[in-house]
Amino acid sequence: MLNDADNFADIFRGGLPYYLLITLPILIFCSPCLASEFQVMSMIKFDVNGEHFGSRSSAISLEAKSLYTWNTGRHCVLARLLDISVSDLNEIRQKAGGLIVMLPKDVQALADDVKDHVLMLEQQMLQQSIPVPVYFAHFNKELEHIINDITYTAIDNDTKNKTAASQLLLSVSANGYHVTVDGQNSAANKNSKVPVIQGEFLPNQLPLKHMENTVEGSLPLILITASLKTFGIINDYPLNADAAVLMSLIEVFSKLHSMISTAPKYRIGFLLSDSGMLLNFQGSKKWLEMDDNMSLQNVEFVLCLDTITQSLTNNQPNVLYLHVSKPPKEKTSISQFFKLLKSVAGHHAENITVEGVHKKINLADLKLSWEHERFSMKRYPAFTLSSVKAPGSPFRTTMFRDNEAHIVQQTITAVKIIAETLACYMYKIDTLSEVFSGDAVISEANILPYLGVKSILQNNDIKDGFEKYLKNVKIIYDKPDAREPDFMFYNGIDAKLNVYRVKPAIFDLFLTIAISLYLSTVYLAIQFFPNFYGVVSTNSNDSIGNFFRNSQNALKRK
Amino acid sequence: MTLYHFGNCVALLMPYYFTYKYSGLSEYGAFWKCVQAGCIYIFTQLCKMLVLATFFYSDTSSNSGEFNFFTEILRCSVDVADLLGFALILSRIPGKGHSKLITAGLGWATAEVILSRGIMLWVGARGTEFSWIYIQKCLESNVLLVQHLTTATLIWLFTRHDLNKALKPLVSILLAVTVFKGVWLEGMLHILSIGAWSAIAIKALVAAVIGFCSLHIYAGLAQQIGI
Repeated sequence: MLNDADNFADIFRGGLPYYLLITLPILIFCSPCLASEFQVMSMIKFDVNGEHFGSRSSAISLEAKSLYTWNTGRHCVLARLLDISVSDLNEIRQKAGGLIVMLPKDVQALADDVKDHVLMLEQQMLQQSIPVPVYFAHFNKELEHIINDITYTAIDNDTKNKTAASQLLLSVSANGYHVTVDGQNSAANKNSKVPVIQGEFLPNQLPLKHMENTVEGSLPLILITASLKTFGIINDYPLNADAAVLMSLIEVFSKLHSMISTAPKYRIGFLLSDSGMLLNFQGSKKWLEMDDNMSLQNVEFVLCLDTITQSLTNNQPNVLYLHVSKPPKEKTSISQFFKLLKSVAGHHAENITVEGVHKKINLADLKLSWEHERFSMKRYPAFTLSSVKAPGSPFRTTMFRDNEAHIVQQTITAVKIIAETLACYMYKIDTLSEVFSGDAVISEANILPYLGVKSILQNNDIKDGFEKYLKNVKIIYDKPDAREPDFMFYNGIDAKLNVYRVKPAIFDLFLTIAISLYLSTVYLAIQFFPNFYGVVSTNSNDSIGNFFRNSQNALKRK
Repeated sequence: MTLYHFGNCVALLMPYYFTYKYSGLSEYGAFWKCVQAGCIYIFTQLCKMLVLATFFYSDTSSNSGEFNFFTEILRCSVDVADLLGFALILSRIPGKGHSKLITAGLGWATAEVILSRGIMLWVGARGTEFSWIYIQKCLESNVLLVQHLTTATLIWLFTRHDLNKALKPLVSILLAVTVFKGVWLEGMLHILSIGAWSAIAIKALVAAVIGFCSLHIYAGLAQQIGI
């Protein structure tokens, strides 16, 4: 438009440059958002004993590829959880640029071996530090479609041997996807802390007076501990059946304690901490290191609860395992309890068997397998009751859970067995008699209020429950050391995943060629328009005149 | 997708420039006239918006994506104001012969492209997400250019007193067809559920047919009065 320079100069003489100054930045900052957007959950990130776990980085802006086609660090793998194998995971962990996993629609509905695979993969992810960002998305039709799209175009590419031209055409027409996750790098939470709550049943004062030779402190102590899991593979709350069991034990034994005639000659202490296996039982460690805890003298035994109910049904036999660090000798409290537990389980519950498992403490390993090891190391007789046999069972850390009804049923059975055994042990009664029946029966009402508990600090639910029945209730916090933190949490914010449909750069080149062809056609058309106009104008008068004359003639004829 | 893609889309709008350059407008220095025509376009659109907002019940939430015949007729009846706008341009802006019509049509079409497609192209075609819609819209703009030039011609013919009396009804019918294109053409495309690409082709065909008819009539009259 060089020959219009005067006209353009006219524009710029006015206030236009100033308007441009205002509008250009606005135009540049106008960022489009037409992409499909998904809510995703970032993988958990935490440190224990200086070791890093979870996904260590968070931002993704890469090309999406399927599990079978990715090959460089510039690709982000987009896949279903069920399709990923452990070796895939390891490869992605080392080489890919990111991983976005779509969770299955309904974990309950999966076959048992598939469930096992899911659990194993989850555990595998939790046990190591993953340097690439990992995100989880809930099942979503749109995302499923995208995953199918990238998977199938890949398969088409691979299987058919095509000529170079068709390959080129395919690469031009191929749909690509670009994924971005605007995850801010999560900062270490300086206020990380693990709350621990303790409480105990103080023996009734009245019967003590009759026994002159007993002092309060010398009554043997039975300590029951459990831990609340506050996170799993994602920043969500797993099933905390152990805490529910502990709370319902408090409730049922408070009834016995409140009556003078039935008050046992034992103190029962309860300890609940927000640190499970993933946090290496930091809570009980801290509690044991404290000086002013419940006088830990004359400890009869410490009963730890761990994964008393499996959150996902499996066709495994219903077994309650009693884990110890050294085989209990005859006539010790633990062997006595074990015998009682066996016979109680045989009487009061169908198809539940009790088995003892012995595993030595590996002192070289910083990470403990069971909570009772913390107590055993301090020479307290301690054992763990659990529904899983191996310490490395994925059930201990899983996020996936079954329907509530099944869980509640299992938990009630567990509470029943433990409570009956404890009663038999404390009152030295026969295992055939049923203590918790009639008024004191253990029902859903004991379990349900605590099954959804997420943390000790949440709504003071746990604290209120402790204070209602127990004495000496105290909450202590384990805070990591500023220099050498035992554990560290990170602020996790659920991010948004954007998937953009993109075309390869070569596509734009082709488009340019096509457009220039079109433009030259238009150019030629305009160039030849005067000729065309000339033809039209010479014909027009005659033909239109003829047409109308004819039509008028035709009308007249009619 | 990228700035390059945006460039591609803008390149598709080049016929506007070609029309300006090779129709002889650039030799007349008709740039400001085109800008004035564009201003009249803006004025017309504002008036139309005012009327639409005041008198018409807009129920965009309930029938999104649906083709509502009655609403479309109402909206197209407001589009008659476009014809008044064209008439205003033709009466106000001086010009000689063919260039007068091309100034009106081109100014109008350019203003429309900049105002209704500009932001969408800048924001959308430059974005990360790829969509064919931008290329389609740009191609459609080319069709609209032809159509607006036709409309300008038809209006000019309509205002002429020395037009053959027999041709008067034909011009009126063509005008009506152009204005109510939103109803009959879009309705037909919607009912037959024609894809976006074929829809553009059909629109181009319709615009070409109407354009050719107008050109035929115009050429006759132009020869008569000697321009």
